[in-house]
Amino acid sequence: MACYLRSSQCSIEWDPAVLAPPSTGRVGRGTHLQKQVRRDVGTRRGGALSPLSATIRGVIYLDHAATAPPDDRVVAAMLPHLTERFGNPSEPHTAGRRARADLAAARAEIAMWLGAEAEHVVLTSGGTEADNLAVLGRAQGLSGRMVVSAIEHPAVRRSVDALAGRGWEVVIAPVVPAGTLDLDALEQLVRAGDALVCVMGASNVTGVLQPISEIAVLCAERGVPLHVDQVQAASGSDVDLSLLPGSVTIAIAAHKLGGPRGVGALVGSGIAELAPIVHGGGQEGGLRSGTEDVAGAVALATALRIRQDEHAVAEREQRAILRDALEQRLGLSVAGAMATRLPGHALLLTGFRGDTVVRLLDERGIAVSAGSACASGETAPDATLTAMGIDDDVARGAVRVSLGPTTTADEIDALVAAWHEFEPSLRVAAEAAA
Amino acid sequence: MIDLSRVGAVDQPDGEGRAGGGRCNDRVRFTVGLVGDRLDQVRFGADACVSTTAAAAWLAARAEGGALLAGARIGLAEVLVGAEIAPAGAECALTAVDAFHAALGDAVARGMQTAAVGNRSVVAMSGGVDSAMVLTETVREGRDVVAVTLRLWIDPEAPSPERACCAPSAVRSARDLCHQHGVPHIALDLRDDFRATVVDPFVAGYAAGETPNPCTTCNGAFRFDAIDRIATNLGAAEWRTGHYAQLVEQGDAPLVARGLDEMKDQSYMLALVNPEILTRVRFPLGARRKVDVQSEAKERGLAAANALESQEVCFMGGSALAPFLERQGVVMKPGPIVDEAGIELGEHQGALAYTPGQRRGLGVSRGTEALHVLRVDAPTNTIVVGALRRLGRRSVDLRDVQVRTTVDRIDACFRMRGATVPGRFVVTGGDTAEVQLDRDAFQVAPGQVAVLYDGDCIVAAGTVAG
Repeated sequence: MACYLRSSQCSIEWDPAVLAPPSTGRVGRGTHLQKQVRRDVGTRRGGALSPLSATIRGVIYLDHAATAPPDDRVVAAMLPHLTERFGNPSEPHTAGRRARADLAAARAEIAMWLGAEAEHVVLTSGGTEADNLAVLGRAQGLSGRMVVSAIEHPAVRRSVDALAGRGWEVVIAPVVPAGTLDLDALEQLVRAGDALVCVMGASNVTGVLQPISEIAVLCAERGVPLHVDQVQAASGSDVDLSLLPGSVTIAIAAHKLGGPRGVGALVGSGIAELAPIVHGGGQEGGLRSGTEDVAGAVALATALRIRQDEHAVAEREQRAILRDALEQRLGLSVAGAMATRLPGHALLLTGFRGDTVVRLLDERGIAVSAGSACASGETAPDATLTAMGIDDDVARGAVRVSLGPTTTADEIDALVAAWHEFEPSLRVAAEAAA
Repeated sequence: MIDLSRVGAVDQPDGEGRAGGGRCNDRVRFTVGLVGDRLDQVRFGADACVSTTAAAAWLAARAEGGALLAGARIGLAEVLVGAEIAPAGAECALTAVDAFHAALGDAVARGMQTAAVGNRSVVAMSGGVDSAMVLTETVREGRDVVAVTLRLWIDPEAPSPERACCAPSAVRSARDLCHQHGVPHIALDLRDDFRATVVDPFVAGYAAGETPNPCTTCNGAFRFDAIDRIATNLGAAEWRTGHYAQLVEQGDAPLVARGLDEMKDQSYMLALVNPEILTRVRFPLGARRKVDVQSEAKERGLAAANALESQEVCFMGGSALAPFLERQGVVMKPGPIVDEAGIELGEHQGALAYTPGQRRGLGVSRGTEALHVLRVDAPTNTIVVGALRRLGRRSVDLRDVQVRTTVDRIDACFRMRGATVPGRFVVTGGDTAEVQLDRDAFQVAPGQVAVLYDGDCIVAAGTVAG
């Protein structure tokens, strides 16, 4: 926290010249944008910006899909549970009982926002643990068959791989070039008796949303449980578990929603069929031992509440409009553009190496992320893009821009201006390398 | 900040270098424009990841305006610090460093000249332990050192192309060593010239049924000439190599003599080096023993001390002869193996890959007698075999003879570190001669180089005529 409160001690020092407010020359040129987009979407209701928000404002942060900046209201809701309301919910004394009540209230609220029963909420250390529990907790002591989509996050994919190493049959369900699951293929692949089907709600790479309702029906018809990695999807889409048939679990993580890292949950009726993968004092209905993180539970509940309020829903529409305008102005190919995507999520196929573009934007005070990371001298194209049939060389140019509730039209203008500033040089460089 | 102000290419560059295209298909190209020996303009192209691009941009900014030899001192370590590249990006940054140095090497190869520097020594670096020792010792002497490595053609389909002394990794390790000692390193990409001057005649020699000696050709007609020209252009009055050979002063030009370490003696392969060049060459290891050099290198922590010894025929990269020749377009056809009476004893899979004296791999017999290849007859694709004693020769005709000093009695040597046979040397024409031997010499094959010694000194050499 010192980093935020005393920026002079921050280990990352931003060059003020670089971080000067974006050139206003371009701002306002997109007149239709000005009419549609409220310029105040970055200002939260209810008062002054906290030091956290001030820091965020220093950088044009367009990497909400990696992690969302902490929401002041979430931090405020957590704080009492990190200070005076610190008790262990398992203890019978007053402090313990108070903590237990806080936890129960938070759990009930989490359940409510997701359309689940409170006893079907298992709090975890984050999305990865929730995914691991959904997969490995389903497979303990058994052998069998699982069907997973070709575009799963490593939290699911590596868990399934671990099972494959123990003799499980793992079937990969393909996606169509648009990035959505090939439902015809899925129909053929999922068989009665399968232990689990895993499909992520929205790709963390492309932002493409999957038709979860149809998939849930398909699974329920065959009596096969479904796990949905909703970690990315939760930032911009809703899932109502009460409307999904069959045995379903979803994984969510607070830090994608303006909450802290280290808090997540596995939620849904499928919980009842799982065995624990973390053993100990038997907390969380025996499914996830360890003294409960009450502050984290409150944070997750608060984050879910905020994203459900009327303002947040309107903001999502604005986010999608900003994203569409960005894509139109840059004129680049976009992965998954033909599918329904998370609002504010764009995977740009830049034609250059993604990490080079990320660095050049970063130097201009704009934070985005590369679709592929270069490791040991080799830029491996992202598996999701490969699964979509995108050429390796094209995939290496992927840059993910993900907008959030605080994103403004000015920031989009700044991104477009920065791109147009260095793109000609980058083009010359690429041509000169040929 | 990645400085993109030097993207693009210099018009009509004085030097150009490329690297990349590996697994991730990243590519970098540098072009340089010179004013004298100064890098007046450095431009880069990069279609590459951030580490590579950042390294290229930094190199261009760092080197522009300075002397080319100052640029030749910039190594990967300096780039990583200067361009703030994380260790994980080192391999990527190396692509930019390779391209940059390739451009400098190209500028030097195209004839860039610097003013003479009194105490400058050029050290020919192969990447091996011997040249590493020469480098460090020359630096210790306090001389102004510039290192030069030749990148030569290696059969890309060879089983272990990296085992050659002129492989890319050897060039890099030579460069690293130089940069550790603050020495500018120039890598000259002479692959095309090398192929034309050394490899093609080697292949043509075998195709004509001869047994050519590429190392002698390389040093005599290619490598020493190239380095000597560069050394002169770089203002060096002398240059050094790590060969195990010595020079003996006599008349206008020194004679090449055997190295002290007879197990490592490399004088044979230097027999055809132009005598005028020898006036500028030094062999600091000529009076040393290899084992001493190796242990000293180890003590000094020279990484090259553990490097693999290079192959005898470097460009074959560990390949067997027949598949190498086939890859170079020599057609190998099965044909008869006959004895001297013309009686067919068996079949070979291609006569051209056989060498007179060879016994292994024939697969034929005549009674209990051991059969050796006596001749390879290329036009009829026939191998003639017979007893070893039938190979014995008392008289050998030479062509392309070079005489360094006229003597009557000589010791003839027909292969590297081969046994010598005493005899007489008789000039028979402008560049032909006959060697009359006191006793039989075996395994004398057309195309081989006969090196004639007077004691330890090479006095003449020529190619064994058919």
